[in-house]
Amino acid sequence: MNAFSLSYRLLLRQGRSGGLGLLVAGLLVATAALVAVSVFTDRVGRALERQAGEALGADIAVNSRTSIPDRFDSEAKRLGLETARLITLNTALFVGDASLLVEVKGVSPGYPLRGRLETASSSADKGSVSERIPAVSEAWMEPRGLRQLDAEVGDTALLGVHELPITRALTFEPDRSGGPFLLAPRLMVHIDDLLSSELLGPGTRARYRLLAAGDEQAVAAFKDWLTEEIDSPSQAVVTAADADDQTGAALAQARRFLGVAALTTLILSAVGVLLSALRFARSQRDLVALLKSFGATGSEVMNALTLMLFWLVAIAVVLGGLAGLVAQAAIAQVLVDGQGAGLPPPRLWPVLTSGLFTLLMAAGFALPPLINLRQVPPMRILNQSLDHTIGLGWALWLLPVASAMAIPVIQLGNLQLAAIVLGGSLALAGLLALAGWAAMRTSGALASRARASWRFGLAGLRRRRTAGVIQITALGLGLMALLLLMIVRTELLGQWRGSLPESTPDHFAVNIQPDQVELIEQALLEAGAQRLQIRPMANVNLVDSTGRLDDDRFGRQVNVSWIDVLPPANRVAEGEFFSANASGEVSLAQRWAEQAGARLGDTLTFESGAQQFTATVTSIRDVEWDSFNVNFFILMSPDAGNRLPHQNIASFYLAEGDASVLREISRSFPNVSVIDLGALLDRVSDIIDRVSSAAQVVFVFTLLAGLVVLLAALEATRDERRHESALIRTLGADNALIRRGLLIEYGIMALIAALLATVGAALVGWLLARELFDFTYQPSALLFGSGFVTAFALVVGSGWLGNRSVLATPPVRILRTGKA
Amino acid sequence: MSQSEPSDQLLICDRVGYTVQAPSGRLDILNDISLQLNASETLSIVGASGSGKTTLLGLLAGLELPTQGTIHLAGEDLSDLDEDARARLRRRRVGFVFQSFHLLPSLTALENVLLALEIGGFSQARERATQALDDVGLNHRLDHYPRQMSGGEQQRVAIARAFAGDPDILFADEPTGNLDRRTGKAIADQLFQINQKHGTALVLVTHDLGLAQRCARTEEIEDGRLVSTDASALGDEPKSSDRVVDHPG
Repeated sequence: MNAFSLSYRLLLRQGRSGGLGLLVAGLLVATAALVAVSVFTDRVGRALERQAGEALGADIAVNSRTSIPDRFDSEAKRLGLETARLITLNTALFVGDASLLVEVKGVSPGYPLRGRLETASSSADKGSVSERIPAVSEAWMEPRGLRQLDAEVGDTALLGVHELPITRALTFEPDRSGGPFLLAPRLMVHIDDLLSSELLGPGTRARYRLLAAGDEQAVAAFKDWLTEEIDSPSQAVVTAADADDQTGAALAQARRFLGVAALTTLILSAVGVLLSALRFARSQRDLVALLKSFGATGSEVMNALTLMLFWLVAIAVVLGGLAGLVAQAAIAQVLVDGQGAGLPPPRLWPVLTSGLFTLLMAAGFALPPLINLRQVPPMRILNQSLDHTIGLGWALWLLPVASAMAIPVIQLGNLQLAAIVLGGSLALAGLLALAGWAAMRTSGALASRARASWRFGLAGLRRRRTAGVIQITALGLGLMALLLLMIVRTELLGQWRGSLPESTPDHFAVNIQPDQVELIEQALLEAGAQRLQIRPMANVNLVDSTGRLDDDRFGRQVNVSWIDVLPPANRVAEGEFFSANASGEVSLAQRWAEQAGARLGDTLTFESGAQQFTATVTSIRDVEWDSFNVNFFILMSPDAGNRLPHQNIASFYLAEGDASVLREISRSFPNVSVIDLGALLDRVSDIIDRVSSAAQVVFVFTLLAGLVVLLAALEATRDERRHESALIRTLGADNALIRRGLLIEYGIMALIAALLATVGAALVGWLLARELFDFTYQPSALLFGSGFVTAFALVVGSGWLGNRSVLATPPVRILRTGKA
Repeated sequence: MSQSEPSDQLLICDRVGYTVQAPSGRLDILNDISLQLNASETLSIVGASGSGKTTLLGLLAGLELPTQGTIHLAGEDLSDLDEDARARLRRRRVGFVFQSFHLLPSLTALENVLLALEIGGFSQARERATQALDDVGLNHRLDHYPRQMSGGEQQRVAIARAFAGDPDILFADEPTGNLDRRTGKAIADQLFQINQKHGTALVLVTHDLGLAQRCARTEEIEDGRLVSTDASALGDEPKSSDRVVDHPG
């Protein structure tokens, strides 16, 4: 008989007897979870990238200080991408007698390739989506520009040689870049008008941009082509991912959350598969002995079992894959409902790699105990005392296990996350095994001194010590994964959500002169502005350093500020922040210091106009750039304010509907620009909301995987326990004694598993929060108290429920059949 | 005592011993066992529980190797064969009937018989299996599962499975041990009847003296040693000089 048909018969046999149920369930849940998570995160990731792409108005762009060659455009089109061109230029605009420095943006048809423009019929109206761009011979102007010019829609603007009627107020453009420091209001015109305006002569500081968008592969190909093609330092490729710091940070955080959820699910599934494979292998010993007595060779048995496992994997991959696809489709349906933008379609590769993961996981966790069955002696068919321990031979199987775990790590693309979650699980597994082993030894010693039910319970632990250690380890790991998710779900996600409180600053006012500070502060406070911060800002050049700074840094302009206390959303990473009366000190943001090569102790000299300021680096700060506070790379000690010419910048939160206040400020202080960041904030908070919902869905799979582990762990010794209980009932023990004995046995296992799992989850959660999510996380005693109690109750409860049949079945039946 | 020609000898067991390492030290399960069996011959091995008779059956069938002495089965020295080679030898030459039947509960009667035939690589396995079940009077139970059958019926399926491959030798370990007296007798009748029809050699381990006496020869085993005697005199002092006793047909 060949291995193929033998494996088929074995599968048939086990399929009918239900012995494979948990093993298939473990494999299936693992596949379904990974497919759902990876396909879904892939889609959400791409959708979010596309959303981030709105910050670029495209999927990819080329920036240039000179006109962009036509061949760039042709190549993009050849690859099937849509393209559009932009030119931006700062220039003075005249409307009537008033003039204003504006940033003119000339756009070509097709713009924006991602996102939509919004316009209104007057500067006071709310904008609505516009399907077109400004036609030739018309201009659209940003409302604050209109306010500053005291102009309105219908007026005529003089741009270069053109007189262009302002036909719409431009209320929103997706790729409004430059953040709070974009001083000049926007004027948008057709690109042809700008090209013929005679403003683009030699020496003008125009910026050219080619936008491209379309199929992901084509975008990737275009990016590769551009990387080869671009040789000038004045040209640069920008992708959606790096278009916007705030959205990018939220996106990365989102992936980390889903990554933790996915990894814990996979750890649980792997444990479930290992446990159910061990149990399955134990139950197959008689069958293997029988087959061998009929003349099946060891290798035939091994081949058949390997093939059988392969069929199981195939079934699990197909069914789990389908379940995962259905699940992610359902989630997507719920999540994108009302969002207006559908998710991109699922891709095949996450499904294929998930299948490969299941195959490797089966090879690493389920195959070893099955292959070990080849060593079952045929003599066992006559003499069951010739028992064969189903060992694991770990060393050989670490390779597929490691490969299996490498797949989600690669898919999630975060080594640090994997190291914390997987390393934490591994360390906990070792601790659990050690604690389990110690408990078994102690219970052995105590059993001889205990009485009745305690003796029965403790002796039970000692008798099944190998199984007990495995059970405690598996239960502990399972509980830790579930508790960790509870932490991630309730605390870390909550904290992230809380990181954008209701009153996150959503407006910036820039270019406030020193003598205007008090007046503006008063006006804003009267208007109900919250979380108002007004900070000085000077535009300086770095001219000298005692350290070995990147040459590129010298002569480049940078915005600096001075302050007497460490501002919010800043943490000192190195050194000590200067005191209020310090002088000649400077504090650098870590990112800037790393890029520039500046170190603690370096002395830097800055120049602004005729003024110089020399200061020593006394601290390096870790800054939360996504906090929407006013943050600076370089903070100086307060004495700098006396030397450097400067202006001020304010950040504040203003409740909706207070546009009149802003208008008033613009009118009273024409030099001050007020910038509304509400749209960007909404986008970030939308991402947080989406991730929270997506994480909930992943948690469902985690719970399912946890259930498989729990069942597999408790099932492991059920048959033996039933037989033993039947025996002592025959000897006269009453149900109460057996019940207490079982409770004691499960109670001790649950206590160890729950205790270590709680501590493990707290540690891993704390590490994740600190190293990965950048939160200062304080484990909550209440959460862990309830987590521990729930975990304990879950193990004892399900152990109890699972063993009810021990008491329900007449002992004579169990003893006669020898089976449960 | 009759001595057959070596060419007829299907099974030769020469000074076989079997020792295991127990926590208390070496434990001799079998000691200095010698016996032969010719084709078509029937032999019963009797003895008290724990005397080593089942272990001897396992050694004779090549399920395990002796620690001392040699066993030749169908002309092959089992000690020269590894476990896989012994398995291949069993495929077509050896059949088994066990005390607890060992039918696979999730396979039907027909599938149980088929499984053994398929492992042996027999052609027309389905026809053979059907015929074998017909021979034991179970042609109406082909699609029934073991749990739907009585103990006697299950053992008949096991007998059909053992004979379906037409083996040279059949090893039976307490074939009626799990059955009531009447069913046991019916099963034994069937076993011997089919055995005769196929001309198969039979090695039967039992503590049922009535069943043992139906074999041409009987060996008694006590504390791991053969103390063979006339079956009719079993329980008397062993005739150490006459270890193998022939019974009239």
